[in-house]
Amino acid sequence: MRPIIRRITDKAFTILTGTSAVLLMSVLLIVLGPMVWQGAKAVIFKDTVEFRKMQLDLYNRGNSASLEVENSKAESFRKIVYETIDKFKHGIDTEELIDRSKQVYRQFRKELRYKGITGEEYQKIRSLAKELRDRLQTAFESNDKKTIKENIDYVLQYRSDKDFADTVAVEFFTLAEDFQKSIENIDLNKRQQYTSSLQQVEEIIFRLLGPRPGEPLPALTMERYGATRWDLAQKLLDKLLWSEQWIQKEAGQPLVKIRASRAEQFAGTKLESLFGYAENNLAKMLKPKFTFYWQYFIDDSTPGHYFGGVRPEVLGTLLLTLLAMLFVFPLGVISAAYLVECASDNIAIRIIRMCINTLAGVPSIVFGLFGLAFFVLFFIPLFGGPSKPCILAASMTLAVLTLPVMIRASEEAIRSVPQTYKEASLGLGASRFRTFVKVTLPAALPGILTGVILSLSRVAGETAPILFTGAVALGPLPKSLFDPTRTLSYGSYDIAVGDRLAMMVPHNQYGIVVTLVLLIICLNAIAVVFRARMFRRLKGH
Amino acid sequence: MPTSALKKNRNIDEIKSVVSLGKKHGSSIKEKNSNCKCAVVKSENFSFYYGSKAGVKDITMEIYPCSVTAIIGPSGCGKSTFLRSINRINDLIPHTRIEGRLLVNGHNVYDKNTNLVNLRQQVGMVFQKPNPFPKSIFDNVAYGPRLQGVKSRSKLQQVVENSLKAAALWDEGKDDLKKSALALSGGQQQRLCIARALATRPNILLMDEPCSALDPIATGKIEDLIDKLQNDYTIVIVTHNMQQAARVSKRTAFLCLGELIEYDSTVKIFRNPGKKQTEDYVTGRFG
Repeated sequence: MRPIIRRITDKAFTILTGTSAVLLMSVLLIVLGPMVWQGAKAVIFKDTVEFRKMQLDLYNRGNSASLEVENSKAESFRKIVYETIDKFKHGIDTEELIDRSKQVYRQFRKELRYKGITGEEYQKIRSLAKELRDRLQTAFESNDKKTIKENIDYVLQYRSDKDFADTVAVEFFTLAEDFQKSIENIDLNKRQQYTSSLQQVEEIIFRLLGPRPGEPLPALTMERYGATRWDLAQKLLDKLLWSEQWIQKEAGQPLVKIRASRAEQFAGTKLESLFGYAENNLAKMLKPKFTFYWQYFIDDSTPGHYFGGVRPEVLGTLLLTLLAMLFVFPLGVISAAYLVECASDNIAIRIIRMCINTLAGVPSIVFGLFGLAFFVLFFIPLFGGPSKPCILAASMTLAVLTLPVMIRASEEAIRSVPQTYKEASLGLGASRFRTFVKVTLPAALPGILTGVILSLSRVAGETAPILFTGAVALGPLPKSLFDPTRTLSYGSYDIAVGDRLAMMVPHNQYGIVVTLVLLIICLNAIAVVFRARMFRRLKGH
Repeated sequence: MPTSALKKNRNIDEIKSVVSLGKKHGSSIKEKNSNCKCAVVKSENFSFYYGSKAGVKDITMEIYPCSVTAIIGPSGCGKSTFLRSINRINDLIPHTRIEGRLLVNGHNVYDKNTNLVNLRQQVGMVFQKPNPFPKSIFDNVAYGPRLQGVKSRSKLQQVVENSLKAAALWDEGKDDLKKSALALSGGQQQRLCIARALATRPNILLMDEPCSALDPIATGKIEDLIDKLQNDYTIVIVTHNMQQAARVSKRTAFLCLGELIEYDSTVKIFRNPGKKQTEDYVTGRFG
């Protein structure tokens, strides 16, 4: 070959390999970049006063005095929202009014008896109260302004009746007056529509601002606080301002989704002002602030990952991984030792080898079902354990899953130990077992560690094998080997399939995945450093 | 040759000190002193087959104690095969078979109830390439004694010191016994391997081309060492280097194509060989 051609081909080869390396790295960046970007939002984000409240209540972090000041400021802005809703609701939520009037009637009857009024007088007053109650009910239920006016007027003429003065029945008249005022500028025919829309608005306000001050705390922790994150709050604000509706534009066409302004829906009512107010004062109601929530990695989470961190998941994953390594390491090394040192090359050994190679390619869900059928339902009960998913079963399943990888790596490592080492040891009178333990194994250990690294990454990230054998989405840390555990991989799966949550905590889903990647990188780094040190020792530097 | 220069410097006192040092080898010294000529290794019609191919064929010879016996011959003639049969390290190779008998101290090593561990402790071996374990110098030498169950640190220290002195490595290595053996030079590594073999107190030392991977200076040191050791051990050395065989050995065996052509005193083999084939080989006309 001419020197010039040789130079050109050499250059071309260098360029080709260089380009492919760059390409690979950029692909990696493209894949990892967005995920890390999204996952970082779980740690670095704009929080709200609700978040700080939650941190103080659940984890005892932050300054309660300054939070109190902040909270009272936020509350002063929130009060207007609540007042607006209440004013509007009075004319809309007739069921509540009807219930109230019934209650008042019952209380009034009791009061009469308590006062000792009996006989004919009692009957008279009672039937009049009943009449008032029924009239109010008719007024509340009616869509006709004329009927309402007639009935309300009828009720109000007894306002100064001495029988009702200074009794609970006075509330009849306040109810009637309030109602009259609140329906002044409401189209009564739209009342049905308002009711359902108002429910949505109240729900969104609840999720935005949390329970109203003074109300009893909800049982669920996640309902005790409003939007803890500013991005979530803005999403909710968008929902508050715009309702999604499915309409059919033309007959025979599929339904299309449109965004309708709620302010327009409630145009002319007392609620109309709420939307503009909320849009302009959201920041004042929630007080957003940038925060670096590093405790994400060490915090317990509330059920459903709504708040808090990933501590149970991280610990569960670590536990499961290390336990699986505990099973797979000796098993893999012993199997490899047998295959290299003891097994002769016959048909049975070839079949075993083929099985190991095939196992490496079996889909992980198959291992999951195997684990359920074998470990959970058969093996662990056989030794008196409970027949339920638990970390023991899960780690055993993971060990089986990664056993082929481990065996092959260990086999390679043991085979690559120089024959001269073995000869030297045997020549000194060591038995084969002793030679393996004292000479071959230490020399092969770095190579075996490569197998451990490969297995570790696989085990920590698998979801399917633990799906039926020991992973749960909720629950405390396992107290024994027979408890199930939460893991990062399963946690992210669970959020992804739990449709409602996935919408509300997307940062959490990415956060879990990024935590998993970080965890695997950390575990691998430890193993790599360990291996490098071992190599150095073997090389004698 | 630099080696011959070194040989001249051999110090008789030094040899004596080595001899007196090896109290443990009292028996072999006694044997030599009593001029005992009984064969330590005796081969009777011994053949070794790799599958159907013969490695060595029908070898009958006696190796005398407390002397150096060299085995020479062209590549593939079965020198190493024969040597490695003596402590049965050839067992590692699958599909092999033997015929005849090979006696060490009167016991057939290929007997079914031979204790391999005992045999290999009795018959130490030094390999062609220095093969210290990837451990410290101390651990390398102490490997054999530890196998024999020696646990006490002071005893191990003593054995290591004696062995390293016997292998002429003590002065170079005593300061840093914790150092990895792989950090030593090639010649030092080979002497360490010899020290390691000596630490199990063998009677016989097999050396499979111990200097082929070493430079002339290191070779000279090893040869000096062999010269010293022959007072205490029966040494069998396989070598490609005929000068080396002439320098270090008392008796020489010439093997060709798996067969023993001639076995006699070294002086006779190199000065006045009985067979034409031997003469061709040692004079360089063949091989």
